[in-house]
Amino acid sequence: MASVKNCNLPDDLFYNVENNVWARKEADGTVTVGMTAYACALAGEVVAYTPKKVGRTVDVNKSCATVESGKWVGPVKTPVAGDVVAINDAVAAKPGTINKEPYGEGWLVKLKPSNWDAESGALVTGGAVAAAFEAKMNADGFAGC
Amino acid sequence: MAPTWRLIDTGIRRAAENFALNRALLEARKRRIAPSTLRFLQFGPSALLGYHQSAEQELDLEYCRANGVEVQRRITGGGAIYMDESVLGWELYLGKSDLGTAEMGAISQRVCETAARAVSAFGVPATFRPRTDIEVDGRKIAGTGGAFDGDALLYQGTLLLDFDIGRMLRCLRLPAEMLSPQAIAGARARVVNLRELLGVVPPLEKIKQRFADEFAGALGVAFEPGELSPQEARLFREALAEIDRPDWIHMVQKPRAGLPVLEGVHRFAGGTLRAAAAYDRAGGRIRQVCFSGDFFVNPPRTIADLEAALKDCAVDDLAAAVARFFHGRRIEMPGLAPADFAVAVTQAVASA
Repeated sequence: MASVKNCNLPDDLFYNVENNVWARKEADGTVTVGMTAYACALAGEVVAYTPKKVGRTVDVNKSCATVESGKWVGPVKTPVAGDVVAINDAVAAKPGTINKEPYGEGWLVKLKPSNWDAESGALVTGGAVAAAFEAKMNADGFAGC
Repeated sequence: MAPTWRLIDTGIRRAAENFALNRALLEARKRRIAPSTLRFLQFGPSALLGYHQSAEQELDLEYCRANGVEVQRRITGGGAIYMDESVLGWELYLGKSDLGTAEMGAISQRVCETAARAVSAFGVPATFRPRTDIEVDGRKIAGTGGAFDGDALLYQGTLLLDFDIGRMLRCLRLPAEMLSPQAIAGARARVVNLRELLGVVPPLEKIKQRFADEFAGALGVAFEPGELSPQEARLFREALAEIDRPDWIHMVQKPRAGLPVLEGVHRFAGGTLRAAAAYDRAGGRIRQVCFSGDFFVNPPRTIADLEAALKDCAVDDLAAAVARFFHGRRIEMPGLAPADFAVAVTQAVASA
């Protein structure tokens, strides 16, 4: 687990640092997508979540869900393309779960990926995670989680 | 030399057009085909949902239809509001890097503090009220909200010039008891407009100029009047085709029963405390709460501040949130303890 400015960033996940999102390939071949702890810290408590519907195809770096916090609304952009196979009803009921467990119960969508091998190769993972997020946090003028 | 930003004034428009412009200008800023922009706007009579809200839950659709009130959905967050020509809208389109922070709360604060200075220039002591309002002596005079996409931000706010709160309350879905003369008087005490404060509404052009000057100073930029580019005009037409439709307005459908407005009555040593709470049943959250009753609290603005602090509060966190609010504040309220407020809201929720 990497920790940058007190934000947890598990180094076994695949990140699009610019969009502040992660992806995890599951044993069943699906990909789980969520917001990073850093994205949650910037947003504040999430109070609403609208995922794309199951069956919808989402392109890489396009919106897979819309979230709202502190009267701000914006898209969460999936780091890989695919068909939405599951959305998180527990998060729809209690969107604050995203802040509490961004890498666990607070996941946003599960996708059947269309091009995992190529797209995941462009994402940041492992030992490169900490430095990439540290640079982003510095550029954003972020003090810490 | 200060960078030049664009100033656009789109006048009074239908809500659908105003929100299609939101979408178009944010998209253009994201694609970096448009400069950072300050826009002034106004609406015909309209009831405007927050992005994630349901029209059935929030609005009296029958009243809106019968009275020619346009119903629309914003692309920004927050609660339902009523707008008409007596409200000035203002919006900033910019990049996160323009503000030196990516923290949403800090951005809201910075923009609201600047807007509050613009209002104060007319001789009223306007201040930022966390998290997203501007108030004068505890009474709300402006609300704000934002949308983002990538590095691009839209932050929009209102300014009440000469506002009919009775009309607003009729458009929102409220139980009959909250439309009583007493309840309307209570709502009126929480909101204020420039005419009420000054006896007259200053010329609109002066207000706009003051806002532009304050934002220019705060952001270190100069504004130059401009128009929509042909690309933005195309984006606007595309957005309007999507937004000016019932399926956009009713994109979120939630049953009325999912957001009951409940009342709790708590008798404390010195009197009665009532809490009217809009309760998000599925989320276990107090969407909004209003306190009333025969109690004395000084400073009087305490109640409005507490109501603002409890917006979107999880029921599980209610007692702690009330305690956090009162912690360290010097408040006079004979016979009434901070915990009484939590009790009144809890009773309201228990009646669900």
